[in-house]
Amino acid sequence: MNTSAHDHHISTVKQLFLVAMGLTFLTFLTVFMAKVIVLPEPFGIIVALTIALAKAFLVGAFFMNLYWDTKFHVLLLVGSFLFFFLMVGVTLLDTLYRDDAIPSF
Amino acid sequence: MANHSSAQTTLHEHHFVDTDHQFDAAKLGMWVFIVNEILFFGGLFCAYIIFRAWYPDLFQQAAYQLNAVLGGINTLVLIASSFTVAMAIRSAQTDNQKGLRNHLLFTIILAFVFLIIKAFEYNHKFELGLFPGAYYNPAPEVLEHLNHPKANIFFSIYYMLTGVHAIHILIGIGLLISLYIRAGRGRFSSKFYNPVEIVGLYWHLVDLIWIFLFPLLYLIE
Repeated sequence: MNTSAHDHHISTVKQLFLVAMGLTFLTFLTVFMAKVIVLPEPFGIIVALTIALAKAFLVGAFFMNLYWDTKFHVLLLVGSFLFFFLMVGVTLLDTLYRDDAIPSF
Repeated sequence: MANHSSAQTTLHEHHFVDTDHQFDAAKLGMWVFIVNEILFFGGLFCAYIIFRAWYPDLFQQAAYQLNAVLGGINTLVLIASSFTVAMAIRSAQTDNQKGLRNHLLFTIILAFVFLIIKAFEYNHKFELGLFPGAYYNPAPEVLEHLNHPKANIFFSIYYMLTGVHAIHILIGIGLLISLYIRAGRGRFSSKFYNPVEIVGLYWHLVDLIWIFLFPLLYLIE
């Protein structure tokens, strides 16, 4: 953990600019896929979330510097996503298999 | 210990061994906070997922009421602001004081642009009576595209997700202004830039959440 203590990673302007351009491209791509090529469900949402995850990877790895950072911080971020999926998964096990949604909701 | 009270003491608190120790501790603390933030927004996303699974047609109809162009512009504004905050950190790391101040200022301006666009969006919805929950009172032209008994629930989720996100932008603006003032006093350098790094992480997180909000709310066909 202290091996990199004296050389914090410094991104070049080019690296940061390319990441920003990549994020911009993916934004246009996700709008294009949703509004121009309208895929049948459930593929529309799968494509949209895949692009969002790719953008999240770019931000996490190169803007938040996880690519050069200690692996423990990566573990924290990935862990939070895993616990989020656990929360959603367990909740859906209930809500998806009700005969009737609670009438007032 | 002879030069214990030299300039070094202004850079790290007495309970840390050195500035690197302090830097690592601050960063770990911020990452733990980010985990907490993701799970906090996770609860709201969970509500989104449950109701979208129950009423897929509602979300299709309601997305028509959201302006994907304004949402898209705001996405690009946040990407640009993430870039400028990353450039601010780079400026601090390379002792570029002018670059640091300028990039912090650009980021603050972009954050305000985001909020102004968001305010126009909210205002348009208020004019159409698209309020959350019990206050939902749609104008006649809304009913042409959105006529669903649970439509108010969509707007409850919409206002909670985007509203809590906007509060994070507001807090971010406050933090960035405080950084800007301290940068103006020359408090940051390649030897000490923890606050810039930490606020940068926070700002990227706000961008990260919007990356998921945008397609999930605006881009449903």
